[in-house]
Amino acid sequence: MPELFALLASFTRPIEIGTTPTSILWMFPLLASISIVYKATKMRVLFWDRFLREVVVLLLTVSLFMIITAVALNIIVWWFT
Amino acid sequence: MADRPRIEHTLFLLAVGILAWIIPGGGHFLIRERRRAIIIFVTITLTFAVGLYVGSIAVVNSVDAKPWFFAQICASPVVGFIDNISRSGYTDTTGQHVKYTAFGRPGDVGQIYTSIAGLLNLLSILSAVYMAYTGRGEMIGTEEETHA
Repeated sequence: MPELFALLASFTRPIEIGTTPTSILWMFPLLASISIVYKATKMRVLFWDRFLREVVVLLLTVSLFMIITAVALNIIVWWFT
Repeated sequence: MADRPRIEHTLFLLAVGILAWIIPGGGHFLIRERRRAIIIFVTITLTFAVGLYVGSIAVVNSVDAKPWFFAQICASPVVGFIDNISRSGYTDTTGQHVKYTAFGRPGDVGQIYTSIAGLLNLLSILSAVYMAYTGRGEMIGTEEETHA
């Protein structure tokens, strides 16, 4: 029982995440979730091997797009400042 | 599905939609898309739980963060219960009433995770209702793998 209370209590205080460039890495698990649920709703018939392949392809595509966008925005900011 | 009376079919769609909202993946489970249901349930629940763990339950707040709350409540009606706990705060050891707070990067990450989980559930609700409407489970049978 004390373990359960400790577990519940851990949801009442935020964890430590610094305002650093590495905090951007938090977007990747979220992108994985989006890819998984999107493919789970989109695929007509769900076969594990094909599902996993499509999730990985979508995750890589979206991640790549996000990285390119981040680099482009950084270049724009660097250009104007 | 086409042979069912219209009222019964409408009620079935409503049941699928409501169950999909109450339990992520529940709608798909009802229309016998069990594999999809499990994937959706695990992913959305995990995303929401990670959001709550990172930013604390304070990221769910229907008063101070109303627009985010609209997205979060799509995850499940349980979010309303969490909102109630979050807004009521707690009494500390000195007897003072304290509000739960979330700010900075953890607050942002928590809010984004929980809201995206809600919006993903909205997508799966629509998917489940659409599949039920088109009679997906009955049309192409079960999801058991038959190919090599």
